[in-house]
Amino acid sequence: MLDLVFLAFIFYVLLLGLKRPFLWVLLYVYIDILAPQRIGYSIIASLPVSLIAFAAAFGGWLLLDRKEGARFSLRQGLMLALLLYAWWTTGHADFPAEAATKWDWVWKALLFAIVLPFTLTTRLRIEALALVLLLSVATIVIGTGMKTVLGGGGYENLKFFVNDNSGIYESSTLATVAIGLIPMIWWFTRHGTLFRPHWAVTAFAAALTFACLLVPIGTEARTGLLCIAALGVLLLRYTRRRLLFIAGAGALGLAALPFLPQSYYERMATIAEPGGDESASTRVAVWQWTLDYVAEKPLGGGFDAYRGNRFAYVMPVKEVAGNTTTVQYQEVVDEGRAFHSAFFELLGEQGWPGLILWLALHGLGLWQMERIYRRWKGAEAEEEVWIAPLAAALQMGAVIYLVGALFQGIGYQPVMLMLVGLQIALHTYCLRIDSAQARHARSAERRAALDSKLGGAVAA
Amino acid sequence: MIDYFALALGHGLIAIALLRLVLRDDCDVDPLLERLKADTEENRRAASPAGRNAARRAQAGGHGEAGAGEADSGEQAAQRERAKPGAQAAQR
Repeated sequence: MLDLVFLAFIFYVLLLGLKRPFLWVLLYVYIDILAPQRIGYSIIASLPVSLIAFAAAFGGWLLLDRKEGARFSLRQGLMLALLLYAWWTTGHADFPAEAATKWDWVWKALLFAIVLPFTLTTRLRIEALALVLLLSVATIVIGTGMKTVLGGGGYENLKFFVNDNSGIYESSTLATVAIGLIPMIWWFTRHGTLFRPHWAVTAFAAALTFACLLVPIGTEARTGLLCIAALGVLLLRYTRRRLLFIAGAGALGLAALPFLPQSYYERMATIAEPGGDESASTRVAVWQWTLDYVAEKPLGGGFDAYRGNRFAYVMPVKEVAGNTTTVQYQEVVDEGRAFHSAFFELLGEQGWPGLILWLALHGLGLWQMERIYRRWKGAEAEEEVWIAPLAAALQMGAVIYLVGALFQGIGYQPVMLMLVGLQIALHTYCLRIDSAQARHARSAERRAALDSKLGGAVAA
Repeated sequence: MIDYFALALGHGLIAIALLRLVLRDDCDVDPLLERLKADTEENRRAASPAGRNAARRAQAGGHGEAGAGEADSGEQAAQRERAKPGAQAAQR
């Protein structure tokens, strides 16, 4: 039954796309994020819906869409370079079979992010992409938030639509993405045109924000808490009454404390004492290993190079026997531990060239969003007033992603790459307005000069 | 149950948004950029030799037949120029 509903929905979008092929791009975004083929289990699971949507999005743009205003930007070039470089390292990988598996989805995510800005040539398209991305993530977040409120949660206990810990259905990743999208949710309450500002939109935004904040709590993902802290710090910049904001956030935090489960406190307590938790202490060991590894292989070891690591370290192991708890320091041997950080993931897999490309891609994005924000901050015309707040929202999203990426291997997270595509599209769009306005001003000047000359001649 | 509710809400909202998107023409053509382009083109025409000559003719005519009617502005002359078949072909 569920499968039929999904298929009907996909068919509906495919049909609408016949009028405007751009909708197929949105269909791919929806399928890539929500993965309906993995939620359903009969017909839809056997159909290559993702491939169909990818082909429709790409083919529709190539054959049917207007390409006016499509420009190739520096950041797309960086992604293309990263894609080609990753292709090369996959061919020389330490673990060819595992590397090929990861390459299978990474190339699609990167290629889509490279092509995406070409399709986002108008304000409405930029908004539509942001909206579909947001609503697709919201569908997962709403379910997670409601389950947390109604039934409690727990690390690796809370059930999503898909429970294979992949893509966005990994609890820490979902927490990072959900928190990163909060600024964009509020952008829609003021500047949305598909759903115009209305009390119902604001109410939905408030509920969705609450659900987003519940994701790190429900899933007990520690990285999520750091992301919330980062969001709080970033919001200070855009708050007029800073002291009130800090006091309000503090009060809200305190009010939330009694509602948190005991297990949450226990898990969060391990942030401060990494020695007591295997997941945290292995991170430091893996990062050390990665640095040693690239010292030998500066060009990286291809995807999943971490599988070659093996290290022993001493950590406290608790043993409970009756009423006595003994803590013994034992040597633990670990093998094939994942990077647990996008920075080290890039460094280990793609070496220094890959890490530099990746850092340049995101660093340049932060800088471009800052420039757009400053350039359009004072704009008052309805057609321009939305630009600066969107740049600010995208910048905050990117910073929160980078904070989350410090402790998770999400260097090629498709949703985040889509946000990169959105940033590029906004930047290109602003450049186009700037140059159109400059051309307009020049032509108006020439015309005014001519008019005054003619006026002078007539007067003489 | 919660899953069904979340899926229905998310899909319903996306479906409405996409339907509204299909019905809007500014999806494919950006109104701000188009307006700037049209205005620039308008100014260029008015400042072009053809537009200038037309404006001069209009002003000279307006001078000679003082009181017969209002003088043409350069803009109106440019519009006349554009209405000529040759000019339209050039535009295309």
